[in-house]
Amino acid sequence: MRAFLILLGLSVFATEVAHADENMLRLPQEVQGWKTDGQDKVFTRQTIFEYMDGGGEIYLAYDFQRLLAREYARDNAPRIVAEVYQMASSRDAYGIFTHDTDGQPVSVGQMALYSAGLLRFWKDRFFVRLQAEDETAEVKTALMALGERIALGIPQDGRKPSLLSALPPQGLIQPSVHYFHTSVSLNVHYFLDDSNLLNLNAGTEAILAHYQQGSDKPHLLIVRYPRPGDAKTAFEQFGKAYLRESPTGNSVFRKLEKGQFAGGRREERSLALVFEAGSRESAEKLVGLAASRMKGVTP
Amino acid sequence: MSRHDKSDRVTRRDFLRGAAYGSLGLAMGVEGLARAGQGSAFAAEKPLSQVVLVRNEAAVDASHRVNAEVVAEMLDTAMKTFTGEGEVAKALRRYFRPQDNVGIKYTRCAWHRIHVNQAVIDALTDRLVASGVAKSRVTATDYGLPVKDCTALINVPSVKVHAITGIAVSIKNYINLTGRESSYHYEGSSKLGEAWLLPEVKGKTRLIVVDMLRPYFGPGPQINPVHQWDYKGILVGTDPVAIDTVCLSICQKKRNLFKGEEWLISPPPRSLAAADSVYHLGTSDPTKIKLTRLGWEKEQLT
Repeated sequence: MRAFLILLGLSVFATEVAHADENMLRLPQEVQGWKTDGQDKVFTRQTIFEYMDGGGEIYLAYDFQRLLAREYARDNAPRIVAEVYQMASSRDAYGIFTHDTDGQPVSVGQMALYSAGLLRFWKDRFFVRLQAEDETAEVKTALMALGERIALGIPQDGRKPSLLSALPPQGLIQPSVHYFHTSVSLNVHYFLDDSNLLNLNAGTEAILAHYQQGSDKPHLLIVRYPRPGDAKTAFEQFGKAYLRESPTGNSVFRKLEKGQFAGGRREERSLALVFEAGSRESAEKLVGLAASRMKGVTP
Repeated sequence: MSRHDKSDRVTRRDFLRGAAYGSLGLAMGVEGLARAGQGSAFAAEKPLSQVVLVRNEAAVDASHRVNAEVVAEMLDTAMKTFTGEGEVAKALRRYFRPQDNVGIKYTRCAWHRIHVNQAVIDALTDRLVASGVAKSRVTATDYGLPVKDCTALINVPSVKVHAITGIAVSIKNYINLTGRESSYHYEGSSKLGEAWLLPEVKGKTRLIVVDMLRPYFGPGPQINPVHQWDYKGILVGTDPVAIDTVCLSICQKKRNLFKGEEWLISPPPRSLAAADSVYHLGTSDPTKIKLTRLGWEKEQLT
């Protein structure tokens, strides 16, 4: 019976790995002397918590499909863990990449960041994390080489979210741009409320960005809903619960604590909201620019 | 603490005005919340809770390697200062008897890699044994601690800012004693305090020793090395809420320093506010906490 269970276990695992080989990226067996060590592991939306209990929620907030994890080892050198996250769309690969924007930009895939033994990049539907136990000059070279090999194995680039084009370029602090769907992600970057007052969900698209306008640093949040009615409901809720002022038309702005302004505008099925603006004029200007750009955005 | 009723909604404005989550905004240094006549943060003259922080520049070297000998000295200093005893063994005997079965519940989250360092666990175990508790009566682990058989617990967490919980220190360290870890990541993890009130856990925690040698202040969920820093600190106390509040304050200041502007820990740790107001595990009001700071002062951040 015990032997049967072991065989069954091996069979299930082998099936899982074979499945991964057919549908996911083929990772190199060896790079710069680091060789595959141990069995690959595959995790799905249902099993992601087995890999990172307490962290899977962030990936599930995007349309995460599967994760392939592989370890590389070399004698007397730090181990390297390669994680390839397959998302349902290139938008979500870009989105999870923007969850943490701290690092030095490097040229791997469509966008990449390197920081002290960690290389992250996205290309097409894939988000890739390559992390070493410690950083050495050799490790950095190996991480870059491994990243380039993996990126080359992804045959095409993917499209960024079209909603990005709604961001006014003037004053945009580029590393501050986060693309996401749900309030789980929003509240990591900018805590708005604890009850999802904007009704964000898997069907909404949102972008949060930070701007530098003289001495002011307002935050701009753009949300696109599936239907105009969804945007209208969320906008009214935002006005009542956050600004404590019901919108009378398609826009509302209010002076809040510390003399800062918040508010927003609804444009069909999208909202442009601003927080921590230094004046009503600057709040209205930023929102107005975003709203006019939103009109030209197609999904 | 359930917030299914949206009239109970807490917004950013409520939090920044100090109208929600108790004193967390004050602990996080939110501008405008300092209230005249209420005393300075962590300098209570008649404290509800005391916390001792010991730092040593030599605890972690330039390659981030931990010096076990220095860590042991830091633990000794912290214990003696916290209890006012001249000897560590005497200090520990205040909390543990030879007949106790002591569980050391530490944090070793394999995927996140913000572990409690072995040097802290070893030093604590050695000193516990030296104080008269037989080694066979001491169990140190993260998962699988036989809590029912333990008569006393030592909570030994690491420190990390957490994408779902806000911050993970001693209160979150007991999450895996519940056997339902994932269920505590909803509603801002506000129910984490429940773990402390489980029948097999309640009242057993005699001491908290925090490994703040290399804490984490980034958004997670996985580690980005630029968000981990060598703070080189050990904290000792008995109030989990007070200890977590001190760690919250330090991490918040580090985040601000890193970005060069206010970078609020987000979401705000509701679990910490609830541990105070709902589960009554201690105080999160920094004006009711006395923090004794010893050792290395550079970027103490508190």
